[in-house]
Amino acid sequence: MSMNEHTEAIRVDGVSRRYGATRALDEVGLTLERGITGLLGPNGAGKTTLLSILATVNEPDAGRVSVFGLDPCDGAERVEIRRRLGYLPQELGYHRHFTVAAFLDYVAILKEITDRRRRAEEVARVLAAIGLERYARKRIRALSGGMRQRLGIAQALLGNPDLLVLDEPTAGLDPEQRLRFRELLSDLPGDPVIVLSTHQADDIAAICPNVIVLLEGQVRFAGSPSGLAAAAGGQVWSADDRDHRAHLSWRGGDGRWRHVGDRPPADAELVAPTVEDGYLMLSHAAGVR
Amino acid sequence: MTSPSPGAAGPAGGSGGHAADDLLASYAGGAVDGVLAWSVEAHLTACAQCRSNLSAHVDSERLARNRSALLVRAAIGDGGRAHRLLRCCGVPDYLLRLLAATPSLRRSWLLSVMGVLAVVAGEAAAVGYGWIPGGGPAGPAGYPAPAVLAPFLLVAPLLVLAGVAAAFLPMFEPAYWLAVAAPFSGVRLLLVRAVSALTAALVPAVCAAFVLPGPGWLPAALLLPSLALCAFALAAATFVDPSAAAVIAGALWALPAALLLAATDVPLAIVQWHSQSACAAVLIASAVVLFVRRDRFQLGWMR
Amino acid sequence: MRTAAGMSPVAEERDDAPLLRAVARGDEDSLAALYDRHAGWLTVRMTRRCAMPDVVDHAVQDTFLALWREAGAYRGGGDVAAFIWGIGVRRLIDAIRRENGARRRMRWRAAEPSVVISAEDQVLVGIEHGRLGQALAELSPELRGAIEATVLDGLTCAEAAVLLGVAEGTVKSRCHRARLALRAALTEPATGPGTPITRRQAWETP
Repeated sequence: MSMNEHTEAIRVDGVSRRYGATRALDEVGLTLERGITGLLGPNGAGKTTLLSILATVNEPDAGRVSVFGLDPCDGAERVEIRRRLGYLPQELGYHRHFTVAAFLDYVAILKEITDRRRRAEEVARVLAAIGLERYARKRIRALSGGMRQRLGIAQALLGNPDLLVLDEPTAGLDPEQRLRFRELLSDLPGDPVIVLSTHQADDIAAICPNVIVLLEGQVRFAGSPSGLAAAAGGQVWSADDRDHRAHLSWRGGDGRWRHVGDRPPADAELVAPTVEDGYLMLSHAAGVR
Repeated sequence: MTSPSPGAAGPAGGSGGHAADDLLASYAGGAVDGVLAWSVEAHLTACAQCRSNLSAHVDSERLARNRSALLVRAAIGDGGRAHRLLRCCGVPDYLLRLLAATPSLRRSWLLSVMGVLAVVAGEAAAVGYGWIPGGGPAGPAGYPAPAVLAPFLLVAPLLVLAGVAAAFLPMFEPAYWLAVAAPFSGVRLLLVRAVSALTAALVPAVCAAFVLPGPGWLPAALLLPSLALCAFALAAATFVDPSAAAVIAGALWALPAALLLAATDVPLAIVQWHSQSACAAVLIASAVVLFVRRDRFQLGWMR
Repeated sequence: MRTAAGMSPVAEERDDAPLLRAVARGDEDSLAALYDRHAGWLTVRMTRRCAMPDVVDHAVQDTFLALWREAGAYRGGGDVAAFIWGIGVRRLIDAIRRENGARRRMRWRAAEPSVVISAEDQVLVGIEHGRLGQALAELSPELRGAIEATVLDGLTCAEAAVLLGVAEGTVKSRCHRARLALRAALTEPATGPGTPITRRQAWETP
């Protein structure tokens, strides 16, 4: 597992991708280091396209990608990337008759673990990591949505990948499961590069030390969650009633109205911005609704 | 070798005929040998208490690891009799598991194929041998009426094509994106599945052909058209969307075949040597195209 | 250590048979309970015959998998542990052969040797301090190993050859020499530790 000593393990340069008339990605450039990076953006922002390019299942129309120094456009290097990859696609499919253990066994074979016993040990390891040991014999079609999602995460962990690409891994998980997912990601051996996409800002705040905001195919922000929150610094205020000067208002959990806007009124009660506030500010600035 | 303490009822006397704990610890550590080890083992065979005490001296992490691997292997199962037979013949276990996920190699699919073949061949046989009146205009002497054999000759290669299509079409591989993103060679997976599906569909088709009235070489004459059809579909899949490729291949067989079969003045034109040569040519050309463009199956058919 | 619900770790001997029956019916929890009870001693006993821990791990897993499939073969006579060992030692041999690269699996016999093993074990438990035990102790390690494989473990000479890592002919000749030495030791009048001549004979190896 030789890797050059650059901190940036993944580099994306000027990548564009279009589907017909739609520009899914527009001159996207970013770098990813070891650790967890969150990709935040609304549906249709290009997150899935970007992740599929990183996972070598899609090719950009323009631009260059470098994963651990390897080029996914070259056949042999692409296979080498795939050996170090764990991918959770947005729609995880499985054969109808598969049990949990059989499905993981199948994916383990696809990851070139050919020895039967090593495969069983690896499957047992990820089942334990994700907490599904008791369900090894259950048919996948009998699992709930949240359990299927966890199964999807488990298959991505097979083979201890150096790069984990997870497309909306927290979708369908209840708060307790999200907590365990966060712990799981932090405890992975080998310190892989993890990039996950979500449209929920509190996932970012809680799990990801790095965040990239993708809006309409372009990178609008790359930095830490606190940096993202600071983008709305001084522009978030709280009041008892709704204030129509704000871009966005909603009722918070404490019963008061929370407002995000360019020009807070002079008597406004400014509050510390959260990651979500920063994200909303950026969305509004980009003209995205 | 540790010397046994005198006057003990069991090995190295613990209380009441059980093994002493330090003896068990030494035994677990591999420090006990010879006759003393034999008697320890003999005692353990009969005494549940000492077995339990011994377990405390065995590496618990190792035991736990084997336990979970065991339960996973029990959960996965060994695939049944067919698997075990093939494994004894030397087919690697992982290939069998990959094949088990192919829809056209599952029992339900194979039974359906055999059912269709039985109906079509049965009907042709019944008409051909005169058990049921029907058929069309009579063919030349020595050959049954083309209309009798037409359904079977039309359908059999299409069934083989369907089997191979189910082996490579993304719509039949629900874990498609996982398979693409995985290092296991897509070409190898495709070939293994396609060849297995081809064989699994061809064998019943050829067997059914034996039932039919007609020249004795009829079963063999099915081979080239079926192979050519499948190869063409695979080669076309490197150019167009795989589902479209399969449909095009099917149509390209059905239309000319129907025309040829309707030509009553040429007996069984579809399986005469000129048709066979055409099929052979298509087969070779498709194979070449497939080989040259095999990288398309690595990226994942999406474009 | 997890055990089946309701059973204490120090269960009576007779509780193993119902567990085995439950395993035969396909109850996975019973398989886990059986493992918890028997994997410890099985691992140690196998390790004494094969120094490679990976091979032993595989053999242990294979043993319980074989139990999972063929628990119905247990006819209720003799110790369950002896039945498990009968399966286990052959799984171990298979694992060793795989490690050595042999491709074809050796067919393993059904577990009827368990009766034989039990009888031998009964004798051995009793003779440790007796003359037979003494005579056995005086055998060289190689001869003792051959006796252990063929008598205690109930293997054929071919299976024992794999386990000991020698040729089949060597196993046969060692068994023969061991028997001669034992007979000599047991038929001579009891004089104590044995005459020097007998001891020298017992220790001769090729």
